[in-house]
Amino acid sequence: MSTPEHELDTSGAGSAAQRAQPPAEDLDWRRVHPVTPLVRGWAVVGAAVVILGQQSLDGGPRGGLIALVSSEYWWTLFAALAAVAAVGWGYSVLAWRMTTYAIGEETVHLRRGILFRQQRHARLDRLQSVDIRQPLVARFFGLCELTLETAGGTDSGVAIGFLKGSDADELRAELLARAAGLKVARTGPAGSGRRQPPSGTVAAPAGPGHAGSVPVGPVPVGPVPVGTGPEGQPQDAGPQAGFPHAGGPDGPLGGPTGPPTLEAPQIPVLSVPLGRLIASVVRSGAMITLVVWALVVVVVMIVTGEFAVISASLPAVLGAGGYLFGRLTGEFDFRVAISPDGVRLRHGMLETRSQTIPPGRVQAVRLVQSVLWRGRDWWRVQVNVAGYGGESEEKNSVLLPVGTRDEALTVLSLVLPDLGVDEPRRVLDAGLDGNSRTESVYVTAPRRTRILDPVAWRRNGFAVTGRALLLRRGRMVKILDVVPHERTQSLGLSQGPWQRRLGVASFQVHSTEGPVHPEAPHLDAADAARLMAEQAMRARSARAAAGPERWMERQGE
Amino acid sequence: MTSPFEPHDVTWSRVSPRLVTAMLVPATISLGIPMVAGVVLAVTISPWFWLLAGVPAVFLLWSILLIPRQVRAIGYAERDDDLLIRKGVMFRSMVVVPYGRMQYVDVEAGPLDRKLGLAKVQLHTASVGTDAQIPGLPPDEAARLRDRLASRGEARLAGL
Repeated sequence: MSTPEHELDTSGAGSAAQRAQPPAEDLDWRRVHPVTPLVRGWAVVGAAVVILGQQSLDGGPRGGLIALVSSEYWWTLFAALAAVAAVGWGYSVLAWRMTTYAIGEETVHLRRGILFRQQRHARLDRLQSVDIRQPLVARFFGLCELTLETAGGTDSGVAIGFLKGSDADELRAELLARAAGLKVARTGPAGSGRRQPPSGTVAAPAGPGHAGSVPVGPVPVGPVPVGTGPEGQPQDAGPQAGFPHAGGPDGPLGGPTGPPTLEAPQIPVLSVPLGRLIASVVRSGAMITLVVWALVVVVVMIVTGEFAVISASLPAVLGAGGYLFGRLTGEFDFRVAISPDGVRLRHGMLETRSQTIPPGRVQAVRLVQSVLWRGRDWWRVQVNVAGYGGESEEKNSVLLPVGTRDEALTVLSLVLPDLGVDEPRRVLDAGLDGNSRTESVYVTAPRRTRILDPVAWRRNGFAVTGRALLLRRGRMVKILDVVPHERTQSLGLSQGPWQRRLGVASFQVHSTEGPVHPEAPHLDAADAARLMAEQAMRARSARAAAGPERWMERQGE
Repeated sequence: MTSPFEPHDVTWSRVSPRLVTAMLVPATISLGIPMVAGVVLAVTISPWFWLLAGVPAVFLLWSILLIPRQVRAIGYAERDDDLLIRKGVMFRSMVVVPYGRMQYVDVEAGPLDRKLGLAKVQLHTASVGTDAQIPGLPPDEAARLRDRLASRGEARLAGL
């Protein structure tokens, strides 16, 4: 594998050669930060300590760890821990040596694995999101892990880590600019950039979105930046073609101190105050469940006089408590910002996450209000983004953990700027807490379905706007799902025996993996059939008119 | 009252009736073994084991009655821009999959399916919720459908 030192060329010709569809060996393969093994090794040591702790707990008061520590063989414990640490760190060092990544013109390459080598090439135009994650241990070293999600399902992302914080920011900016369809001049790191991503060597586009003010609306509009060509045209587009190096005269040679030139400007939109976050978690459904459960346990204990009830119910309580704690720390200091590269989210206490979701990557949005949030009119906004599914769904897919109605609708308008309706606020309000008795454009479930859904039958309904399908339901927990027409994957209709007797059917929109499962239960059969037929048509025409995957290439709207 | 499962401009294709056999054989095996065991135990040990024999027998009878209807209820239709699949007798469902949304197509055939000359075509979109499979197609029809879907998907390909 080639080391970065080979590529000292800073001339236009050298860059031009790199800009061609590069064969693999021409890529600038870089290693991640050398402290990475230290950070990763901690996980092994931590796991060993946890296992030891569990063993000692299981061993009872007389056996296990405590007996070992107090005996004359106490040093074996530390020897064992040291051995585990050595193995863990040794493995991490090897893994670090074998891990390299490279950014190509249209792809990101990652090589990793010791025995089983893996090479992953992710196409940048298929990029769904770029996240920078900073776990607690990595924070002591100022390191971050950058994760690039593509739409290949669970574990299809490319995780590059760990990197120095500023390098990760630059890499993210470069990736986003390339994915946006901007031409980025890339030159080799000028000597000093050993084992670091080149910094200050990328040229800023002069596109108005990246350089000027940010329109908070249909995000990038205006003249199209250079690079509207479908593929890289290496010869005629030199690094200086059409736009200046924002790094100034010493741009290409600026070294690690060069300014981060590609960072798209971002405008803070809102942040969630800590007090509200705590209050929202206290009023959440999980907390209600926890309290009810605790009351039941106490009552049962008093009635039966058995203390064993407490220890038997401990796992459930710990689980719920852990979930609440995770939610509190994960959504701590939640900030939302908008940039031409999409929505930026930043949150977390122990592990901070900084997410970027480019325009058009949101597959579906859900606004949800649990029963105790109604007094304050708080809403939670969740999204489906391809690649975000799986086990980290709970951390990734939240666009706003808690916010007032205005804030929630603001966030919704960031990801879906245009609903294609004259009075979006009225339609959305009706979707949030309207029912069949309020005057609105929603087509609601017929009255005869109250036997199927006695509580919420008035809420079940849908509305179609020019750009999206809105589905509302739920009365205790109110839900409004918004699916842009062009993001519809497939449509489903289902009908059970009772539904058939009543002449109703349930309608589903299939979206990518995530927390949002849009459906409209118990619609009148004729409504459902018409919705099914028309929605298929609308989705088709919306897809035909949809913007390109590279969001800076769209020609206004 | 019009059924939403009968769009007016659609002619449904049926799957092969051999699918009845393909579904009945596994059902008979999985329910027949406990039934026979129950009968043997009931005769040799205790009449209580007639219960063990009776429950699977009821289920088997139910499957024998239901499976032919289920197979007749499976239908698919190729429209210009999407594929419709419907199934179910009591719990009906229908799914519309736009060709441009297809990520890949699977064709599968187990040993019994191959013996009977059947194959299953399954469509995958970017959504895990899309349950779009057509069992019981003759292999020629499965191959034709696969190629047709693939070519149409390519023509109408849209990202996500």
